[in-house]
Amino acid sequence: MPQKDTRDIVTVYRASGEPTAILNNLRRCTKCAIPETQETIVFDEAGVCNVCRQQEYKQSQIDWAERAREFAALVDEYRGKHDYDCIVPLSGGKDSTFTLYELVTRHRVKPLVVTFDHGFLRPTTLANTERTIKKLGVDYLKYRPSWKVVQKLMLESLHRKGDFCWHCHTGIFSYPMQIAVKFKVPLVVWGEPSAEYTSYYGYDEPEEVDERRFNRFVNLGITAEDMLGMLGGEVTMRDLEPFAYPPPAELRKLNVRSVCLGSYMPWNVKDQVEIIARELGWQGAAVEGVPPGYEYEKIECAMQGVRDYLKFIKRGFARTSHLTSIDIRNGRMTREEAARLIEQHEGQRPPSLDVFLEYVGLTEAEFMDIAMSHQVSPNAHDPGAVRPGAPLWDQPLWDRSR
Amino acid sequence: MIAVVDYGMGNLRSVFKALEAIGEEPRVTRDAADLRSATHIVLPGVGAFAQCVANLRATQLVDVLEEQVRERKKPFLGICLGMQLLGRDSEEGGRHEGLGWFPASVRRLHGDVGLKVPHIGWNDVRAQPESPLFKGVRHPVFYFVHSYYMDCENPQLVSATCDYGITFPAAIVADNVWAVQFHPEKSQLNGLRFLQNFLSGS
Amino acid sequence: MVKGVRFDGYRDVGHPVTTAKVYDAQGADELLFLDITATAENRRTLFDAVSRTADECFMPLTVGGGVRTLDDVRALLLAGADKVSINTQAVLGPELVSEAAERFGSQAVVVSIDVKSGVVWTHGGHQPTALRPADWARRVADLGAGEIMVTSIDREGTRSGYDLDLVRAVADAVPVPVIASGGVGRLDDLVDGIREGHASAVAAASIFHFTDQSVIKARAYMRQAGLEMRIA
Repeated sequence: MPQKDTRDIVTVYRASGEPTAILNNLRRCTKCAIPETQETIVFDEAGVCNVCRQQEYKQSQIDWAERAREFAALVDEYRGKHDYDCIVPLSGGKDSTFTLYELVTRHRVKPLVVTFDHGFLRPTTLANTERTIKKLGVDYLKYRPSWKVVQKLMLESLHRKGDFCWHCHTGIFSYPMQIAVKFKVPLVVWGEPSAEYTSYYGYDEPEEVDERRFNRFVNLGITAEDMLGMLGGEVTMRDLEPFAYPPPAELRKLNVRSVCLGSYMPWNVKDQVEIIARELGWQGAAVEGVPPGYEYEKIECAMQGVRDYLKFIKRGFARTSHLTSIDIRNGRMTREEAARLIEQHEGQRPPSLDVFLEYVGLTEAEFMDIAMSHQVSPNAHDPGAVRPGAPLWDQPLWDRSR
Repeated sequence: MIAVVDYGMGNLRSVFKALEAIGEEPRVTRDAADLRSATHIVLPGVGAFAQCVANLRATQLVDVLEEQVRERKKPFLGICLGMQLLGRDSEEGGRHEGLGWFPASVRRLHGDVGLKVPHIGWNDVRAQPESPLFKGVRHPVFYFVHSYYMDCENPQLVSATCDYGITFPAAIVADNVWAVQFHPEKSQLNGLRFLQNFLSGS
Repeated sequence: MVKGVRFDGYRDVGHPVTTAKVYDAQGADELLFLDITATAENRRTLFDAVSRTADECFMPLTVGGGVRTLDDVRALLLAGADKVSINTQAVLGPELVSEAAERFGSQAVVVSIDVKSGVVWTHGGHQPTALRPADWARRVADLGAGEIMVTSIDREGTRSGYDLDLVRAVADAVPVPVIASGGVGRLDDLVDGIREGHASAVAAASIFHFTDQSVIKARAYMRQAGLEMRIA
């Protein structure tokens, strides 16, 4: 199957005299800007990636009216039968905030809102969440696992996968399920489906946020039981309970359904941010390594910059590629504009790295060794080409306890 | 209650657990009363043809199966050897007689350059357009592990085929009797969906 | 569940059952459990892991390690394995292969061949034999093995690629499917195993345990390279 070479955009830029290192010599989708090193990417004969095709499918092949009816029926099935109609996991970011807003105002549910606090919630997010839960009038549970356990998990996860966010991925998706079981609230409603950004799942079927999905990609291939062995006695299973997915039999007994609102209505980040800004006073914030105009994205985590930096070292692309690709798919930006923004904004060293290194007790050289060992071929990271990024306004406020 | 016939041959536990995983109530049994009271009957099968037939006959359940399935039309699923047993005969290990429910003979797959026998692994299954077997299965790919196949004389009964050197029946259906060469209990989500279809559609 | 580098120096890589569930969710085609210590107490753990895995992962499972008798084979099949892998015992007492094939069917019998420096080794890579891999493979296929797994001890855990000459020599010598094992470090190695090595199946472990690669990425990569991969 002959593949169209997508290095043409580099040629274009070379011809016009612009720098050619902008796209890291990685083959990229001929439509968006995501490169070959992304976890699930496959390019078709036209060189277009599977996520772009999923978006096309989403925008033209789905009977959204029918999906909306399905969702209404699902909510009605569970309405009023338990202490809460559903659980809404809330990070405080744009997607979960919109999901909560939609469920309360349009679907008129009585939710139990659950935040798994990864320990890095930024001030803007905390303020947003305050306003959100008060204006919507909902019961709210927030849970924070032990910082000492989290420190160990971050370091182990970083070593094994070049991704220190294991505790967050697993906690965010396990803990609300545990609450569902504990409080006997079987319906759990999440926000955007992963099909919006990756191809672990497609849009042709509603995405069930279950153990299979958890094992498929959420937990990086590592379960709490695995981590127990990996940390070799430094923690106990009790310490890892918050990160453990409830057994299938328990969920089956309660007839738990765990679904994405974005499987039942077309996810539209720009419109949705406008709505929550207007109705709930939701505010954005600058994040590291991202162009202006994207202040709604991933604002809820102080470690987002380090996370993106790791992705850049491993895979040669980061959040700017991601955000501009979304805009391209929605007709809001051209590929050339995207390339320019990627060149300008990716490849910066986030100042928050200093904080992270303190948290896990690594030197920057050690961190780079680990990161570089996880590079995904054919990406070849050039540490010399990294520029220093600008600090976030709230970094001085972050608690630096170790 | 779904009766999973225990005649000493077959991946009983996997079939049992797969049915449980989709929310059903299976029971592994060699009790005639269970076959009579069950809503569905599943006959798994792994191993050699002759041994399978001999074991099945030794359970003395063949009559009950004939009564419940062929006369009373109870929904029935035969898996792998559990499908081949339903044929007239097999050439595996000599010439042996099957139950004769289908006009079919079991023959050996022929190896070829690049086509190794046994046929082990996942393979595409092509269903006839009106086939109820694979509803909700986007990419019908299932796990096969066999050296012999059903050569069915009546093409009307062949509900789905698979290619491996030759085109052979992946599924044979006659009213309430479904018989498949692949292992739904080993075919991950596709297999579970298929089992759901069997339980709801037949 | 331990991953060895050249059969020495083990590192803990996770719980076998939950790891199996991860691979199941990611659409691996088959799972392979190898009991490397095969002591009496480990047998219980192994059987437990096999049963629990078979209970929750509806996918093919091959189990091996310390299989010495027909009863061992039967016990593992009853515990939930679909195929049983025989290694050392195939050399010490080859009749086990034919007996198992006759009793349980060839498709349930895998013979595993470990190779170092051009000859077959037994006892977990500790004892050399005078057997050449392709000859031995031919013999066990004749005896009734339904599949053969060939592992390069030299390459195992090194992430430096399969020994493709070895894999090809074995794959071309036998009419049964051959599984290549030992040495995968990059996704290209998986493609090479099929294309250059003529293997029917490619096995990997280190690359999934110790790098940010996943079964999903590996499958997508192999599909992108033009190999027919099931979408899972």
